[in-house]
Amino acid sequence: MQQYLISFLIFIPLVAAFAGIAIPSSFKRAFRILSIGVSILQLILICLSFGDYNPEAGLQFIEKHPWITLDLGTWGTLKAEYFVALDGLSFPLVLLSVFILLIATISSWTIDHNVKGYFLLLLLLNAAIIGTFTALDFLIFYLFFEFMLLPMFFLIAIWGGARREYASIKFFLYTLVGSIFILIVMIALYLSVHEQGMNEGIVHSFNLLNMTDANHFIPESILHPGNPWSLGIWNAREWAFLLLFIGFAIKLPMVPFHTWLPDAHVEAPTPVSVILAAVLLKIGGYGLARIAIPIFPEAALHFSMFVGIMGVVSIIYGALNAMASTDLKRLIAYSSVSHMGFVLLGLASVTQEGIAGALYQMFGHGLISAMLFILVGVLYDRTHDRTISNYSGLATRMKTYTAFVLIAFFASMGLPGFAGFIAEILVFLGAFKAPTANGVLHESLAVLATGGLVLGAAYYLWTLQRMFFGPFNVKGGIDEASLTDVDLRERLMLIPLALLTFFFGVYPQPVLNLIDGFAKQLHELVMTAGTALTIIP
Amino acid sequence: MEPRLNDTLHAMLTDFGFLKSELILASGIMVLVIVGLFKPRAAVLHLIALAFLLITSIAAYVNVGYEPRLLFGGIVRSGGSFSDFFKLLFASGGALTVAMTWRGEQQRRLSEYYALLLAVILGANFLVMSENLLVLFLSLELVSISSYVLTGFSFEKKSSEGSLKYFLFGSVASAVMLYGFTIMYGLFGTLNYPDFQLPSVDSSQLYFIAAVLSLAGFLYKIAAAPLHPWAPDVYQAAPMPIVAFFSVVPKLAGVGILLKFSQLTRLPITDLKLMLAGVAILTLTVGNFAALWQKNVKRLMAYSSIGQSGFLLVGIVSGSTQSAEFLLFYSTVYLILTFLIFFYVQKFEMAGATTIADYAGIGRTYAFAGVMMLIGFIALTGLPPTAGFTGKLFLFSALWESYTTSDEGILLALLIFGLLNTVVSLFYYLRIPYFTFIQKGETTPAQNNLTFENLLCLILVLAVLVLFFSPGLLMGWINKTNFAF
Repeated sequence: MQQYLISFLIFIPLVAAFAGIAIPSSFKRAFRILSIGVSILQLILICLSFGDYNPEAGLQFIEKHPWITLDLGTWGTLKAEYFVALDGLSFPLVLLSVFILLIATISSWTIDHNVKGYFLLLLLLNAAIIGTFTALDFLIFYLFFEFMLLPMFFLIAIWGGARREYASIKFFLYTLVGSIFILIVMIALYLSVHEQGMNEGIVHSFNLLNMTDANHFIPESILHPGNPWSLGIWNAREWAFLLLFIGFAIKLPMVPFHTWLPDAHVEAPTPVSVILAAVLLKIGGYGLARIAIPIFPEAALHFSMFVGIMGVVSIIYGALNAMASTDLKRLIAYSSVSHMGFVLLGLASVTQEGIAGALYQMFGHGLISAMLFILVGVLYDRTHDRTISNYSGLATRMKTYTAFVLIAFFASMGLPGFAGFIAEILVFLGAFKAPTANGVLHESLAVLATGGLVLGAAYYLWTLQRMFFGPFNVKGGIDEASLTDVDLRERLMLIPLALLTFFFGVYPQPVLNLIDGFAKQLHELVMTAGTALTIIP
Repeated sequence: MEPRLNDTLHAMLTDFGFLKSELILASGIMVLVIVGLFKPRAAVLHLIALAFLLITSIAAYVNVGYEPRLLFGGIVRSGGSFSDFFKLLFASGGALTVAMTWRGEQQRRLSEYYALLLAVILGANFLVMSENLLVLFLSLELVSISSYVLTGFSFEKKSSEGSLKYFLFGSVASAVMLYGFTIMYGLFGTLNYPDFQLPSVDSSQLYFIAAVLSLAGFLYKIAAAPLHPWAPDVYQAAPMPIVAFFSVVPKLAGVGILLKFSQLTRLPITDLKLMLAGVAILTLTVGNFAALWQKNVKRLMAYSSIGQSGFLLVGIVSGSTQSAEFLLFYSTVYLILTFLIFFYVQKFEMAGATTIADYAGIGRTYAFAGVMMLIGFIALTGLPPTAGFTGKLFLFSALWESYTTSDEGILLALLIFGLLNTVVSLFYYLRIPYFTFIQKGETTPAQNNLTFENLLCLILVLAVLVLFFSPGLLMGWINKTNFAF
């Protein structure tokens, strides 16, 4: 059974979605139970296999089956495989996704309009997310990556807030532009890469592992390291890296491509916001660490200064925007932009600590942002108002709620004892070490990034002071009686998230064990392969 | 020694044996006209037309992979999977048009209607078989003239207007093309275009002018910019099945002959290829951007089909045998998708929805239809998991390959424009599903899902999905049948 773990994870929600079509839409309960059952089953499956996973061993639970093999005459053979596996990069993210999807399903309990459509789309999204994180064939990756957009689009567009049309289209178009860039590189890559050791003819494959090895590139092909082709000041491989970088940076999102995020978050219903922030943003970082950096290591080194600067800009600019936000959800959306900047900075440092920190940040931010968005949802469900200035002194009325908000805000600020702290400290270690160890980043970047921490503390503490402390007072026609404390279902979501955030802040070792092997491998790959391939100036 | 008349006649008679599809179509036209005299019930005419088209497609299918053979002294060529594959597409397109007509409102003068439909297909068949400029022109005119009449078959003021516009525009394009052909004849002394050889004197510029003039006719037929303005008016005026038919059969015939013409004239005409790349960029941009502002569904689909011509041109510009095979794949997918969408556009038009705003909330009444249409639009955009994605991936791969071998900047520009245009196209393709599902309209009780449209379109949707998950089913077949023009 273990050997089909990933297929089970991907296909259980798919099969459930198709089975769900047959259930009449009046059985609202059935869809909730179906959806939550799928999530619990996935969680059990992945927890059971945790023991079988060996952090030292690289790729595991490998499934590799032929999918498309097309003989194209003079062109050679086009080959795509169903190739999925887990490693130190994908395992924590799959774990996180499965857990967050369960939380999001619980959070969806209050959805009451067109229940059938909602939960079926959620199941499709579930399958696409797991598929994206596990695929090691570029075509499969791209398939799941694109397939994720559509359920997401409809989830925002049908169940969203007042400006849902604008937000959903903006989300779709931004991401599609990014994926077109990725598609261009995919076409160039599969035409440039061939599989060795095959009997006769050239076999063009989409295998991502082959693409990380310079020996697999066909001499004279456009992306072969020796190809002198250049456009402007960059050669083909540098352009390819840049296109991939922009494609994934839109997803991350990185300033200046982040503007879709606040809109999508503000309009999306709470569970969709949770998935968007906790899981979908991670695909940007995942894509960089899985595809862009390992395939074009020398370009990654070449541009690491630029990537680092963009990371710092995102950290600072996101934090400043968060501070200026008047809507609580928008504030948290901008804080996500700021936190994703740390992912960029960590990856740009190309040190083992920095990469591990970036990956840990993705994991930790997944937990923390889920908690933050659920907390916003709790308030919004009660009053349908998220304007910060309309509230004051909530602590006197909603004690437990305020306690959870304190935990979430402090965790997000990067206070010691929470997952965010470990991640950010690792990123800083990497960023401070990089100038001397690799010579890729400038010292000032790490210093500037610490400014982001100060700003983070500022906007969170200011929000706490404005909304929760002081004398109780509400404005803007909010009914005071509606401000009840968190109920059992909400606690069911918030307590595990709070505990895990705390646990992984105090004892990060289980996840770091997973991540470390990959971070080391990526670091070594970039340092050896990246410096071996000289860059044509 | 001059060949004896007897021998010539004998050779011609044997050659007729290789024109089975065309003979079937021609006899179909006559049968339809004659049966029409007895004022039969509509069902009889539907059945006759369908039967002839099915037999034609079987004949074309059987023929695929035959040895290529020049007929009638080298003016047409039968065999060679290229033309037979197109003939198969035309006949299938025709059969689907009959199915649409049967489900639609157009029931007047059916015998003439079907006779003209078959005449267009007959012309299209000869067009992709032709190896001679005169046959090319005659078959193009057969397609065009029948099309002018079909446009006006709603018998309203608006449709007459559309028909006249089509006619005026079309005759100018034909005249320009004919002028180009005369220059070519003067230049090369033959009308058989595979035999063209540049004379020793440098006359490549004259040839370039002639080729540009001739292109006008082809580009007009496939509604490529800047010869596209007729399309929205004609689409809006013509009956719905004819609109679907126009966006597939004459267009694919134009694409086919353009491909064949550009591949068989072995002349150093890189200029022409680059010009076609420019036309493709223009077509993509004009079609997709103009579609953004459309409110009427038929006009939207007209601009969408202009945009799709741009994608088809990408396959011609790449100019390798491989890209030609990919073009056949994409054409097949395009045919399936066009009919999928138009079946529902017709159904909704009969339910009273002609503008996009009328589609508001229609998804609640026709949930199944809405989902099928959504998949159709996703595939037209070129997103996975549909064959639309596979087709575009193939076309752009071939273009990329062509760019890396020739290193012409405009091919890279075409690649980038083409891919960015898919983003633009997503915006308007999603508008219809957006209105059907998300906008709230009047809610009427849900309709029965078990209709002919839904069953047929389910098959079409499944075909599109299957071709994504195993493109080898079709690509392998195109590849195997010793591909030749």
